[in-house]
Amino acid sequence: MRFAATFIAIAIAWLNLAAQSAETPAPSVWAGVYTAAQVARGDVAYRQECANCHGTTLEGGDMTPALVGGGFTSNWNDLTVGDLFERIRVTMPLDRPGKLTRQQNVDVIAFLLNANGWPEGKTELAVDLGTLKQIKIQSTRPAAQP
Amino acid sequence: MWQPMQRLVITSMVLGAAWFSIDTAGQSGPAPSTRNGEWPYYTADLRGTKYSPLDQIDAGNFNNLEVAWRFKTDNLGTRPEFKLEGTPLMVGGVLYTTGGTRRSVVALDAKSGELLWTHRYPEGTRGANAPRQLSGRGVSYWTDGRGDDRVLYVTPGYRLIALNAKTGALVTSFGKGGVVDLKVGVVYGNGQQIDLVKGEIGLHSTPTVVKDTIIVGSSMKEGMTIETHNNTKGLVRAFDVRTGKLQWTFNTIPRPGEVGNDTWLNGSWAVNGNTGVWTQITVDEELGLVYLPVESPSSDYYGAKRPGNNLFGESLVAVDLKTGQRKWHFQLVHHPIWDHDISSAPILLDATIDGKPRKLVAQPSKQSFLYVFDRVTGVPIWPIVETPVPPGDVPGEWYAPTQPIPSKPPAYGRPGLRIPDELIDFTPEMRARAVENMTHYKWGGNFPYSGTLYNPPIVGNVKGLLGALNIGNASGGTNWPGAGADPETGIVYAQANLSAFTPESVAPPPPGFSDMEYQAGVVGQPFRLRVAAGTGTYADVQRQGAAAPAEAPAAPRAGGAPAPVYNAVEGLSMVKPPYGVLSAIDVNRGELKWQVPHGDTPDVVRNHPRLKGMTIPKTGQGGSVGVLVTKTLVIAADPLVTTTPEHPRGAMMRAYDKQSGKEVGAVWMPAPVSGSPMTYRVDGRQYIVIAVSGGNYSGEYIAFSLPDTASDTGGSR
Repeated sequence: MRFAATFIAIAIAWLNLAAQSAETPAPSVWAGVYTAAQVARGDVAYRQECANCHGTTLEGGDMTPALVGGGFTSNWNDLTVGDLFERIRVTMPLDRPGKLTRQQNVDVIAFLLNANGWPEGKTELAVDLGTLKQIKIQSTRPAAQP
Repeated sequence: MWQPMQRLVITSMVLGAAWFSIDTAGQSGPAPSTRNGEWPYYTADLRGTKYSPLDQIDAGNFNNLEVAWRFKTDNLGTRPEFKLEGTPLMVGGVLYTTGGTRRSVVALDAKSGELLWTHRYPEGTRGANAPRQLSGRGVSYWTDGRGDDRVLYVTPGYRLIALNAKTGALVTSFGKGGVVDLKVGVVYGNGQQIDLVKGEIGLHSTPTVVKDTIIVGSSMKEGMTIETHNNTKGLVRAFDVRTGKLQWTFNTIPRPGEVGNDTWLNGSWAVNGNTGVWTQITVDEELGLVYLPVESPSSDYYGAKRPGNNLFGESLVAVDLKTGQRKWHFQLVHHPIWDHDISSAPILLDATIDGKPRKLVAQPSKQSFLYVFDRVTGVPIWPIVETPVPPGDVPGEWYAPTQPIPSKPPAYGRPGLRIPDELIDFTPEMRARAVENMTHYKWGGNFPYSGTLYNPPIVGNVKGLLGALNIGNASGGTNWPGAGADPETGIVYAQANLSAFTPESVAPPPPGFSDMEYQAGVVGQPFRLRVAAGTGTYADVQRQGAAAPAEAPAAPRAGGAPAPVYNAVEGLSMVKPPYGVLSAIDVNRGELKWQVPHGDTPDVVRNHPRLKGMTIPKTGQGGSVGVLVTKTLVIAADPLVTTTPEHPRGAMMRAYDKQSGKEVGAVWMPAPVSGSPMTYRVDGRQYIVIAVSGGNYSGEYIAFSLPDTASDTGGSR
């Protein structure tokens, strides 16, 4: 009897969760996932560690991809902020991969999101890969929820 | 009656003669060939065609292609690589190629993709200093036809290595223990040996094996921002493929007494470098001629230290296969200052011109001109006209008064930009913005294409003109993946980038950085070091603690105002579509047979809020991709990722009808193409293998084939 009650409770909880995820759109970069203060810190880190190759205006170079504009947003469209975090962590800066601290990494991402027109919010982008992997990069603003 | 000793001598002589005849005949037995369904050279054959006569995959079934196997290269090195550029070879049912941040070599089962062997050659600091890192374009193959089968490649640290094709073991009879140190004999200045560890030279293309000779080119650092004009001198060398012994050397900067030395005025040959041959070399075995596509001298945008035309910079040079002696040459760009490297394999074709059979060499280019010559004599098939070009005014620079421009065939891309006709015109406002933006660049004059072809660099300034606009240079037109051709019809198939908007400007570098007064840059903008793709990614960079290659001084980075952005309109290209095209060029007639946009319309165009509701024809994509030519198809993949109503996020590999250019099929890939596709047949089944990578997708070779109709077991991975 106790077993059945527990089972039912778990089943209800599961159903609730499922219903919630069906109703709540996946978090995306359109939801305001970083702060202005974070952009300022990311700006500093970007200029120190990234700008020499990617350019002061993020325009890229002959051998380096731009980090702003259509090329960048379509290249990362439908991936997650966590994917971008991992790409930077594993390979950037090219001459010293892993040189950025994890905090600098997310700050630089905040700077990039801002430069590409995705809105700022009230909460900082967290240094947590699991959370970052939930935030989808979408090049176009999703249709408004009913 | 013969004495035993006489018999022995005669027998030895006969055997010796037999050995000699086999040896001098080069590879005997069934030579690997596309005719057997193999792909034994980077460009399919020695002639640079990328053509295979296979026809199992065709217009009717291309859409049915599915993944047969895939090979991820992440663990070939200490970290993943995101720019995998290799094209595998297939010989005898085995694929051979390179991959990873150490440029390891792998042998894969051609049917299953199973890893048969792997080879790695750690080079430590020498590899970390390499001017051309990444996994390279692949390997070369040689066989004596009697069981001695070898795979050869050049390491990032510029060593030529011979491996046993069956085991991956070093062939110890080659060079020293299987290795020839290619840096030995490489010089700068007027003959000083470069340092074997730090000396600047490498090669990322594959060496060319012909008969018992292996030909190796050279590549230096990216030439836009360099510390000295007196850097390593380019060269091409041939080695005995059996022993590794040097056979000949061709100096791309001619020494005193050699043809072309007088084109380096004031003895400037002695104080300048580069002029490498970094792309694929092709060979006519019957004529015994080797065709060398030579790149720019130092530096890319400023040539004040080398007055004169600077042979053999940006020249196509034919040399003798046995001696390396120059037979003929043609300089495509005099006194190069635009980065027009000859960037892809010359293509050898036999065609009919004005009713007469001719032996041709056709050279695709960044300019999107196909330069066509008689490959025996070097005489242009159609006039290539020396055309007056305007000089520039950069202090100290020397300017060539004319440049050669082909009269036929017509350009297959954009050598220059017709302004305003070829500026963006989705809306009148966008056109107006583009016209306004153009006032920030130098262009104009009476020269063709609004003066944007061979438009000499200026000293750009954030408070004035930002640069001299060019479009068919640097990364325009056809780049390293090169073109292909059908040797049976004499049609060349070439992809071209039409949207490489390239303002060229030079500025004084930071004090102490260089011995040149000017380098690529704009006055008032922070100095930026331009390095080759992948620089710093070599597997041992971190472990060895090697410094970032020639890191720019810190001070200039902090100063300067951000550059105003005038090279785009609302995030869109300044030029009107198409951004990239695929063309068929009939060299029998010197005419364009067809031309179509290649690549999905980029997301930024399809989703642009200002273009909502508009019907925009397919724009194609900028970027450089290689082609594969089969019996009935031309195959090329997209250089950009898109997300469209027709397919999820990814890039398509497309097939076009060779006759019409009509797209007849497309197959989805998870990432953009980053190497040129190849094809082969094994056990009656045709495969297409392509390297993909980019963005967050690390390097992977993917093999496609048609579903097995004999079984319903699926099995794709």
